[in-house]
Amino acid sequence: MLQVKDLKVSYDGLPVINRVSFELRKGDVLGVIGESGAGKTTLGLSILGLVEGRCSGAVILNERNILTCPEEERRRMRGKEAAMVFQNVEDALNPLYTVASQIVESLEIHGVRERAAARSRALELLATVGLEQRQARSYPHHLSGGEKQRALIALALANDPDILIFDEPTAALDALTKAHIISLLKKITLDKISLVITHDIATAARLTNKMAVLYGGRIVEAGVTGEVLANPRHPYTRALLRSYPGMDTTKDLQGIPGRLSHESAGCAFHPRCTQKAALCGSEVPPLVNAGGRQVACHRGGIVPLLEIKKLSKSFGGHNVLQDIGLTLWEGETLALVGESGSGKTTLAKTVMGLIKADGGQILLDCGGEKAKNVRSHERVQMVFQNPGESINHRMNVLQAVKEPLDINRRGTEEEKLAQVKAVLNDAELPSDDLFLRKYPHQLSGGEVQRVAIARALVLNPKVLIADEPTSALDPSVQAKILKLLLNLQEKKGLAILLITHDLALARKVSDRLAVMQQGRIVEEGPCAQVLRNPRSEYTRSLLAATPGQAEAAAEQLKKSPYGAGWEALPWV
Amino acid sequence: MKKTGLVANYMIALLVILAVNFILPRLMPGNPLQAIYGDEALLAMTPQLQEELVRRFALDRPLAEQLVSYLGTLCRGDLGYSYFYNAPVAGVILDFLPWTLLLTGLALLLSTLFGLFLGIESGYRRGRMLDKVLLGGNMLLGGLPDFFVGILLLLFFGVFLSLAPLAGAMEPYAGHSGLALALDVLRHLALPLAALVIARMTGAYLLTRNTMVATLGSAYILTARAKGCTDSSIRYRHAGRNSLLPAVTATGVQFANLVTGALFIEIVFSYPGMGSLLYKSLLTRDYPLLEGILLLVALSVLLVNFLVDLLYAKLDPRVNYAR
Repeated sequence: MLQVKDLKVSYDGLPVINRVSFELRKGDVLGVIGESGAGKTTLGLSILGLVEGRCSGAVILNERNILTCPEEERRRMRGKEAAMVFQNVEDALNPLYTVASQIVESLEIHGVRERAAARSRALELLATVGLEQRQARSYPHHLSGGEKQRALIALALANDPDILIFDEPTAALDALTKAHIISLLKKITLDKISLVITHDIATAARLTNKMAVLYGGRIVEAGVTGEVLANPRHPYTRALLRSYPGMDTTKDLQGIPGRLSHESAGCAFHPRCTQKAALCGSEVPPLVNAGGRQVACHRGGIVPLLEIKKLSKSFGGHNVLQDIGLTLWEGETLALVGESGSGKTTLAKTVMGLIKADGGQILLDCGGEKAKNVRSHERVQMVFQNPGESINHRMNVLQAVKEPLDINRRGTEEEKLAQVKAVLNDAELPSDDLFLRKYPHQLSGGEVQRVAIARALVLNPKVLIADEPTSALDPSVQAKILKLLLNLQEKKGLAILLITHDLALARKVSDRLAVMQQGRIVEEGPCAQVLRNPRSEYTRSLLAATPGQAEAAAEQLKKSPYGAGWEALPWV
Repeated sequence: MKKTGLVANYMIALLVILAVNFILPRLMPGNPLQAIYGDEALLAMTPQLQEELVRRFALDRPLAEQLVSYLGTLCRGDLGYSYFYNAPVAGVILDFLPWTLLLTGLALLLSTLFGLFLGIESGYRRGRMLDKVLLGGNMLLGGLPDFFVGILLLLFFGVFLSLAPLAGAMEPYAGHSGLALALDVLRHLALPLAALVIARMTGAYLLTRNTMVATLGSAYILTARAKGCTDSSIRYRHAGRNSLLPAVTATGVQFANLVTGALFIEIVFSYPGMGSLLYKSLLTRDYPLLEGILLLVALSVLLVNFLVDLLYAKLDPRVNYAR
């Protein structure tokens, strides 16, 4: 068993690892993910007692603390009880010795006396990782990257250690070699305690059964790999997954605003977090258990901004909305798709409070406090389908965008003007006087829709309901508008409920997809999963009807809705 | 294949050296007779004698023929005739050569070994006290010219402390033999050797130290630590050996430098080696001897570089690969 308790590592007074604790048992493969500088490698090194900086806390391996035991004992432990495969494959083997002799050296250090025995054991080890005698006798520069990685793995296995640490085991390898190395590692790690340090999320997904997300030297989220990846709870985890180009992410890549900084007080992630509260800047959130998951967030992870529970509405005996339940999380796009008349727009208007619901609840999270049935236009705003009509043609741009501020009596005229200009900037529109005095009919369709978006954003809402925001626009303008919305989402954590009937559009911009049919949600889930593996008949027919798909793909989709194969990652 | 290419390179260099050695005296102002006998003797000569001499020295033959016969005599080990010593050049050189071989050979070996050793230890302890002392000390000593170091040593150990003899390579007419002879030779060798080693060590030391610092940052050092290698194994087997190459290269390059250094040192200590011989031949304008010495020095530099090239392949398997 490996225990890491309250581990702190600092270089020159700058903390790199901060109060990291975890426990691993035989068979556990812990994926440590996080961006560069998060402290992943330092964590691996400190388990071997190889960190140059100051350490405190405890790394307990075989009933002794690695951090405090004498160097000689640590030396004997290294390679024997715990071994590490380092990141830089090209440089990690000594260029002056053959691969086999480097393994022989490791065997001899840890007690194999006879050279011949050590040699045959080394060749055996190299054979198990798939290297032949010829390669064993070569110098590192004669081997390819994949072969070097195998040799390094054999070296780590030399003395059959209990603990294996792999630092970026698949970085810089091509896809095929990567697949081979991963399957080799999967075999090896079965009866060991392993750490896989990587920023390659697909590798972590394949290789590990536990996962810890490291940010600024702290674990911000930990749990079972599949669950963490399928349903990230910490905003950072989600942001990390969003910036990773997985084969089955359909949404465009999104980055994380700002930079990693070790010096900020409070939660390390708060300068980049879009849902931060006052507390986040002053206090470090503890890592707490929450339903089989550990999350370090003052707000308990990504917050639900909008919860719709058992919502129903009928017009003259005709049920338009039946038992609708939906949750919109902070910073995500939820696409609501379905044919015309399925009740999408009614749902949107009900949420906005434009239509009164017959039954059910709409809960809105305002700044951390949950308010019931609050029709807060300051928190929820809407962008309508037809921009030409949604903006009063008697109002110029300034008046249209400023109106919400006037209604809510926000600030003085100067402040309002400044805010209008800022929001026009956000919407990538000019903010000069000439533009401010223009009327809708003087603007192009795309510009008018941007003005509508600017008007929706001027109150700084957290939730934006966009009802077919681009259906009236040509594709190039549509792309710009959607990019704009996604950028705002990245920067401000805007949660978007996108109502559309265009599946192709939905898959590019949304995280989750809810399919609506005759007033009911018939299917809901991560976008890629719903599209690849639709469960309801209705979704399948919607998909098959979507133009622009290859015939074969549509056929295949019809035939085997569940045939996505084992290699499909369980996350999106 | 690779080795023959290497040998061919050195053969070409050898031929160039021989050709230069052959042409150089012929490019000097005046004719060879003038060079050999001086202006006055030449003026006093009868034309018959001059012609006789020209014929005897084969100066009337075509240049190509002269070159062939020059190479021929070289092959027989005939370097010409020293008129100052009144003996064949080869024989004169052979009398002095062993002392220089002893001095420069040991100086080369020791300065490289010390430089490597100190460089490895110093680089391993980068930034710590020992490293700072070694670095500072070496920079200071390396900044001094070798003859100056020699003079200081001679004054201090030879004159003030009377610990070492002031001149020569061995006690003349002492009739030592066996161990006593060896000790006597060592006593005479100690100071010039020390002067050369001290002055020459800095190059190898600095190079090794810097390479060591860079090498220690390599991933394979981390790999070595992670497999449980002892400190000394990391220092020498892993980092040290990887830091050898530049120092060894420098040794080859510096050899020519060392030879000129030895020249001064031999003069300072009146050590009967090639340096002293060269100095004397310069003073006496003993051109055949001078040429013989220069040829020998050029050849030895060539030889040392060839050996360094061969050593590379032993030290670093990548060298063969790169060719």
